[in-house]
Amino acid sequence: MGTDDLIETFRAQLRDDPDVASAVAAIRALLGFLKQDRGETIQGLRNSLRDAIDTLSRVDSSVAVSSGGELFLRFISLTSLEYSDYSKCKEIMIERGEIFLTKVSLSRNKIAKLCHPFIRDGARILTHAYSRVVLRVLEAAVESKKRFSVYVTESQPDEAGQKMAKALRKLNIPVTVILDAAVGYIMEKVDLVLVGAEGVVESGGIINKIGTNQIAVCAKAQNKPFYVVAESFKFVRLFPLNQQDVPDRFKYKADTLKTGQNLTEEHPWIDYTSPSLITLLFTDLGVLTPSAVSDELIKLYL
Amino acid sequence: MDLIRTEGQRMTAAQPSETTVGNMVRRVLKVIREEYGRLHGRSEESDQQESLHKLLTSGGLSEDFRTPYPSLRANVIEAINEMLIELEGTTDNIAMQALEHIHSNEVIMTIGYSRTVEAFLKEAARKRKFQVIVAECAPFCQGHEMAVQLSKEGIETTVMSDAAIFAVMSRVNKVIIGTKTILANGALIAVSGTHTLALAAKHHSTPLIVCAPMFKLSPQFPNEEDSFHKFVSPQEVLPFTEGEILAKINVHCPVFDYVPPELITLFISNIGGNAPSYIYRLMSELYHPDDYEL
Repeated sequence: MGTDDLIETFRAQLRDDPDVASAVAAIRALLGFLKQDRGETIQGLRNSLRDAIDTLSRVDSSVAVSSGGELFLRFISLTSLEYSDYSKCKEIMIERGEIFLTKVSLSRNKIAKLCHPFIRDGARILTHAYSRVVLRVLEAAVESKKRFSVYVTESQPDEAGQKMAKALRKLNIPVTVILDAAVGYIMEKVDLVLVGAEGVVESGGIINKIGTNQIAVCAKAQNKPFYVVAESFKFVRLFPLNQQDVPDRFKYKADTLKTGQNLTEEHPWIDYTSPSLITLLFTDLGVLTPSAVSDELIKLYL
Repeated sequence: MDLIRTEGQRMTAAQPSETTVGNMVRRVLKVIREEYGRLHGRSEESDQQESLHKLLTSGGLSEDFRTPYPSLRANVIEAINEMLIELEGTTDNIAMQALEHIHSNEVIMTIGYSRTVEAFLKEAARKRKFQVIVAECAPFCQGHEMAVQLSKEGIETTVMSDAAIFAVMSRVNKVIIGTKTILANGALIAVSGTHTLALAAKHHSTPLIVCAPMFKLSPQFPNEEDSFHKFVSPQEVLPFTEGEILAKINVHCPVFDYVPPELITLFISNIGGNAPSYIYRLMSELYHPDDYEL
């Protein structure tokens, strides 16, 4: 399968289903690539998959696509260890890949079920930018007949907050859009902060849209709980110690990286929030404290 | 398993603040799952929990428990008996660790009456000389009972009112308390007054040690602050004889307090000492995620 076909499948996934997570679309595209691969060996398969993942990251350089790709590679390695016959191995991989995709599509609902009891009646929630998982959680809270109001940060430079506000208004939730700079001002009024994540790192911290770190620091200063909702395929094998440690390829959009200009002039799109600022993480593996995240990653990768 | 689950639901509904009942039911359910798994031929290492690994390698959805095994019942009963023996020995196990934590000439503070802490301190008193300050824990004043018991063993004890906790804290080396329940994020539900004690200890950087057996660990999270509170008759706070005042005011007498995990230094349980951030791991050993909601 040519690289163009791969990119086209990936883009088509995102177009047809705007609700799908980019990591899931990436994995689906990779599975399609796997089905059409004509190689004869595991090593060859792994190399071509690595190239495919590189191609996809050049299209969409977000953390989610990277973690989805890593997970898929790991999946291949684990399956190949169990079966030495290549064709049988490939069959099993394709079968398991489909099962994995079905399980993953249920993950948002699982998270919503776990998280919505934490939203009390009459709560005021602060959220950041546009997150489909947070939207699902709030939808579940509305379904369980809870009344609450939401403050959304505008989230420049792409005004993702306005998109979130529109979606929330459709669910009949009272929404107020606030300036990114107004977070410190509004923090005393809110009861809890709920954000999504683009990636969850080994230390239990998160990588999310720029501005999340500020919100976390304000929340800590005012003793407000800071909750993160993320599916388990977003767990990534990074351990940044500060903002500089996050690789450049995640911070900037793929097109910016391609032009090769001086990155110090560019605004990064994501930032890193350290685990000490996070109260709890809600994932489809359960409710985790930040220290439990590295345990989960170890169970997978070692 | 469904039978045990329904019985468990009835028992917890009868007395919701006694979380240990639910905990024990969950442990029994986990024992049953383990025994079933062992008979079913699965290896010991295979993880029953959800994990990323399991997401990738499993060949299908979760297993059903329908295959009958005649020896299952006998195995389960044996495992439950083992659990009973373990439960009976918990206080002794905790007390045995006392010598490592209490040194000579220390001033220890505690609150209310906890049998675990009493055994802990008595065990240490056999070899070390130290002083204890007990906060009386109004309005039930169980601290008085604790002080009497401790002084019978020859430990120099002082009783003081809850209001004086902050004032005396600068002279205290360690705070050792018991608790009613330990929650899944490492927080405590303990007698009213413990939060004050914990905050005072944090302010003075005094270590706060919680002595509690493992059966008090409950897989619930503190999502609704109010739902844990048990209120009793306000008779203790303001007696009914003060009738005219009672008509004009609201009187509450909460029994329990919530203590957040950041204020706690160490948990001492029958399996050893652990940090609050490690609680999630202990929970995964004791209970199965499907049983968190009975």
